[in-house]
Amino acid sequence: MQTTPATSDTELQADNLRRAAIDKSVKGPVLFLFTNGAFWLMLSTLLGVLAAIKLVEPEFLGNCQYISYGRLQPAHINALVYGWGIQAALGVMLWIMARRSGQELKHGKSLLITAGVFWNITITVGIVAILLGKSTSIEWLEMPKFVWPVLLACFLCYAWPIARMFGRAFRPEGFMVSTWYILGACFWFPWIFITANVALHCLPGLGALGAGIDAWYIHGVILLFFVPVGIGGAYYFIPKITGQPIASAQLASAGFWTLAILGGWTGMQKYMGGPLPAWMTAIGAATGVLLLIPVGLVGLNHHLTTLGKHSAVASSPTLRFIFFGALFYPVSGFILALNSAFWTGSALQFTQSWYSFQVVSVYGFFSMCVFGAIYYIVPRLSGCEWLSVRLIRNHFWFSVYGVSTIVVMSLVAGWQQGADLNNPEHWDQSFMNHVVNSRAYVVSRAVAWALISFSNLMFLLHLLLMVAGLGRRSSAPTLLHREHDEHALPAHA
Amino acid sequence: MNFRTFILGLAAAFGLPWLCLIVLPVMKYQQLTPVAYDKEKDGVEGMFPPAPVNGQGQLVYVREGCNQCHTQMIRPSQLGLDGWYKGWGQDQEARPVAARPNVLRDYLGEKYALLGIQRVGPDLTNFGWRAPEADALHVHLYAPRSVHDWSTMPAYTQLYKLQKIQGPASDRALKLPKKFAPPAGYEVVPTPEADRLVEYLLSLKRDYPVPGQSAAVAASPATK
Repeated sequence: MQTTPATSDTELQADNLRRAAIDKSVKGPVLFLFTNGAFWLMLSTLLGVLAAIKLVEPEFLGNCQYISYGRLQPAHINALVYGWGIQAALGVMLWIMARRSGQELKHGKSLLITAGVFWNITITVGIVAILLGKSTSIEWLEMPKFVWPVLLACFLCYAWPIARMFGRAFRPEGFMVSTWYILGACFWFPWIFITANVALHCLPGLGALGAGIDAWYIHGVILLFFVPVGIGGAYYFIPKITGQPIASAQLASAGFWTLAILGGWTGMQKYMGGPLPAWMTAIGAATGVLLLIPVGLVGLNHHLTTLGKHSAVASSPTLRFIFFGALFYPVSGFILALNSAFWTGSALQFTQSWYSFQVVSVYGFFSMCVFGAIYYIVPRLSGCEWLSVRLIRNHFWFSVYGVSTIVVMSLVAGWQQGADLNNPEHWDQSFMNHVVNSRAYVVSRAVAWALISFSNLMFLLHLLLMVAGLGRRSSAPTLLHREHDEHALPAHA
Repeated sequence: MNFRTFILGLAAAFGLPWLCLIVLPVMKYQQLTPVAYDKEKDGVEGMFPPAPVNGQGQLVYVREGCNQCHTQMIRPSQLGLDGWYKGWGQDQEARPVAARPNVLRDYLGEKYALLGIQRVGPDLTNFGWRAPEADALHVHLYAPRSVHDWSTMPAYTQLYKLQKIQGPASDRALKLPKKFAPPAGYEVVPTPEADRLVEYLLSLKRDYPVPGQSAAVAASPATK
């Protein structure tokens, strides 16, 4: 983290002590969020398996109303987004902000834990309510409407100290791109969340405009919350582990501001050709494609930073996860552009490619970066090292293959569905062709989620052992390639 | 750049789309009201949209998450062939005729328009025109695979009551094919919720002519 190398042992010692003090101050809330998030992730992937099976075979496990596809799918997505995504993101944000700004979390630790407890209770109630038939059918806001004020209050309990740390450590001359992204996420999420919830739950009916606002909300949460946290993490850990500074400050700054400026415009193209005024969907489609600019800038910068350091990707679990997470970022941008542009979007609209976009951005990109961050952060908080190289390696490979399968299969399935739907020969046919042709893709989705569930089980157990303090007692970090120890990087403080 | 300009930058970057895309359109939408047809120009009388949505039935639709698989939105021809599907508009003849794409007023008065997430099943925008009789629709909801054996639609058995036949059989009892029929001495009857849902589905007709559009004259509402 420090750009100026410590000149003497005492300074190094003081530095390490300072870091240890910061770590200690955020230990409780961060570990709490990670552990609970991992439980939700596990549940979400299991629900994903079940939902995919029910989409192919609705009579699987009987015609029980609580597990029909229309209730399972929203429960699966909500557990992924609110249970795992936002919760894990808050943990990473808090730790990186504390470390990067060199601030200890002075007080309010019990408030943070309380907020975390309330967050989890509320999500539990909300998801059970969906399964019991209280869903609002507003995508990503399916939980009953009493849920959102509690979630907002809990989020703000975390956002406030994070913003305070940023404010205290802000130096105009210093370039701190990772904290920029994290502060942006802190700042934009409540704004988007309040806007969407007030519009959809509090105002009198907005009809088709409400559907447009919901699509805008989903894109906003992905592009202005999950993406910034993922990129912020990548900008923090890639230089730290490769030992190289970020390749270009100009690229980093341009990537940040183009995302900030474009992110809020996109979303309504989900209903292109629909009842919304045409300019709204057109501007969403245009920005959906223009977002390739920040994607390209950040991707190029990350590429230049890791150039020549790819051996570290093989040995460091953190870098390996973040490297592949960062690779998924251009993929997600590309899929967004495909869904947005009119000439491809007309084929992909209302198909599984929509699911493909959600999974690639929330799981492929964001979650992979967060996994990397967790593999770095947790040993520093729990005071022991990860137990098993094999568990980490399995977690990695099953996740990468699983997510890639879902993303590719859903995208191809989307193309197939679109081609079926726009095939003039089908104009007087029943929907049999569409249903039968997309079946195989959904089966592969179920298999892929099952693989991911398996990997998450290993991750969860590993994390629980670490949190319980049962990790390896060693000063050397757990690296994936022991035989290359002579090239291994020095232990990072 | 100091801290304050940074925060201002964040706010301005997001505030502009927030204002233009959300706040102003919402304020304008609040002023949207039904409009009257002009008998001379449109060839029809009354108000557009003609009837408020069936809220009770829509609640069941919402609760069961039907919009996960069914859309309620017809796209124009340049984007998709939706309008040309047989039976997707009010013209039920076996010939390709385009149903008109939807406009904002079609969903006026709905709390939240269920435009849909994916199109796993057919579009339901104008389902009311092509829907079978209420009894047949109940059978479809209770046992989708009795209609199409390839169907992946869940069976909404919780909306129906399996009861012992006491005295004469209920005239509301579903006429199910043998494979899906209840055991002897039992019958399946719809609950009030199922009735509301079916009423809602039958009421889905969103291709009335738009006042002031020339197409309105050509396609005056069919009587059914």
